[in-house]
Amino acid sequence: MAKIKYTRIEGRSGGYYAFMAGSALVASLLPISALILFLQGHHVTGMTNQVPWGMPIVMAIYLIGVSAGSLVLSSMSTVFGKTEYKPFARVASMLAVVLIVAGLMAIIMDWGRPDRVLVPFFHFQPRSMFSLNAILYNAYMLIGFLYLVALFRENEVWAKRLGLSAVIIAVGVHSGTGAIFGFVYVRELYNSPLLPPSFIAAALSSGTALMIIVLKYTFDATGRKLDVGYIQGLGKLMGIFILVVLYLIFIENVTRSYAPKNYEASSFLLLHGGKFTFYFWVGLIGVGLVGPAAIVLNSATGSSVRWILAAAWLQLAGVLMERYLIVIPAQILPLELLPGMEITSVFLDGQFATYSVSAVEWMYSIGLFGVVAFAYGLAIRLWPMLPEEAVMQEPPA
Amino acid sequence: MDFDRRDFLRIGAAVTAGAAIGPVASAMTQVEKEGSTARRWGMVIDADKCSADCTVCVDACRTENNVPRFDDPKLDIHWIRKIAFRPKGIEGATERTFPAMCFHCEHPPCAHVCPVAATFVRPDGIVQVDKHRCIGCRYCVIACPYKARSFVAKHVEPKEGDNPKVPSRTHGVVEKCTLCAHRIDQGMQPACVEACQKKATGAMVFSDLNNPDTDASALLRTGRARQLRADLGCEPGVYYMGL
Repeated sequence: MAKIKYTRIEGRSGGYYAFMAGSALVASLLPISALILFLQGHHVTGMTNQVPWGMPIVMAIYLIGVSAGSLVLSSMSTVFGKTEYKPFARVASMLAVVLIVAGLMAIIMDWGRPDRVLVPFFHFQPRSMFSLNAILYNAYMLIGFLYLVALFRENEVWAKRLGLSAVIIAVGVHSGTGAIFGFVYVRELYNSPLLPPSFIAAALSSGTALMIIVLKYTFDATGRKLDVGYIQGLGKLMGIFILVVLYLIFIENVTRSYAPKNYEASSFLLLHGGKFTFYFWVGLIGVGLVGPAAIVLNSATGSSVRWILAAAWLQLAGVLMERYLIVIPAQILPLELLPGMEITSVFLDGQFATYSVSAVEWMYSIGLFGVVAFAYGLAIRLWPMLPEEAVMQEPPA
Repeated sequence: MDFDRRDFLRIGAAVTAGAAIGPVASAMTQVEKEGSTARRWGMVIDADKCSADCTVCVDACRTENNVPRFDDPKLDIHWIRKIAFRPKGIEGATERTFPAMCFHCEHPPCAHVCPVAATFVRPDGIVQVDKHRCIGCRYCVIACPYKARSFVAKHVEPKEGDNPKVPSRTHGVVEKCTLCAHRIDQGMQPACVEACQKKATGAMVFSDLNNPDTDASALLRTGRARQLRADLGCEPGVYYMGL
């Protein structure tokens, strides 16, 4: 294979400065909202003692997922021998590192005491998925970074070793993230052994979606040549990942709904949960999964770059919806303290809780996107992340 | 040293397996008992003796532990609350009540999920939160089956008349019933139990459940006391009669 020439982007155009200024402005919402949370307390958010986890946790697991997906895509050439994807290995692994950092920021700044950020490094609880994930996330971040260095040094042997390690840890990272929820045995909508694999599947589909979007826009904006075959190939891949996500969601819900003790939980999510039911069927299943899968797996729309790009945006939004639906509805359902009894109390026992995203949480969430966009724009300006051109080679006769 | 992809796979698999062994191994070692001394503080509460309009236990707890009121049911902190219950689907069924607090489980999910071990089990079975270590991640609030935990979402100013014997509070950490450990350590009963016995019907009985000569142990031997959600296996230290 011909040597790929990577170059920095020039970064002197009005468009680039506008992108950087815009993303910096958006990114500034994150420290502002985090400071409000820290100084005021969580009463300024939609989070309560009934719904203690809100949008920051949704964003954290979303970003961590997209990161793991990007990393696996980056390793396709180095680890899995799909050499045609080599041109994107650097940019994908850089995004993986940026996204995991953003995901960790989302978790830590949502703590009641983010000033105690070093405490988890000194006190472990081996039974806590959070404690184990702290180790996994940091190892993943470090290996992802070293892998990027190996890619830059064109050290194929180490790129392979570190890439493989990173993939293994990425699987661990995402299984662990799913297990945070899956292990919570008292809440019917959390407790499931399928959450870890389901997290990995959605990580792959959303990671591919992000890659499609990032490559298409960056190559266009910087006047680099990108073979349409790449976008089509990634589109197909995304479609297959989405089918896996759909299958896992189907099995999980059917299994849960079969047991009479879960009728209330299942019917809440699937039938009469108001906005949550709407988000599930229309937002997640329709717009987020079936829609994009149909687009990319249909031969006419699946070969059109515009359609694939639209499908990627839908999928990226769909997985954010999926993360929201994993985190929130399980907390809305009341805990069954006395099965068979109706209970009430001043602590809202026995009642469905309510949650809506507050202004501060919107700022926090949107700010995280700004941080990712700014870091990406900076990285492609500072280091040669992108190939001058990405042209698919003819398969050898 | 020759180090090929296969070796790497092996090492990677070993590391992953090792990480997976963590929770399993620690769960296995903790199956027996998470507290250790011969004592096991606990309660037996008789719902038949608990009158619906009585809140002396709740009031005593608020006074003893300086539990503030925000007058917002979503943010309010509850160390102990009265729960009203009646059978589902039976028209005109009588509503009865019982107080619920932290049950100081033998296998506390809150302590299991705490990433920094800020929640821990004292040797005498009392589940405590180290407020100076808690990072405020709220995983314990998610995991507790009994809704015993409250996150302090708002700053609370200490006020005149606060009980100086309990630590002051700051926002950003999770707290819950301490079983009045500060009183127990001085040979007294928890404030809620004392209030119930002195000012109300004495529905709450507190003692060492491992000592067969106590009132609570005698009530347990009647065979009429049970734990809430015993099916979860957390082994709460608070038993109920008349539910």
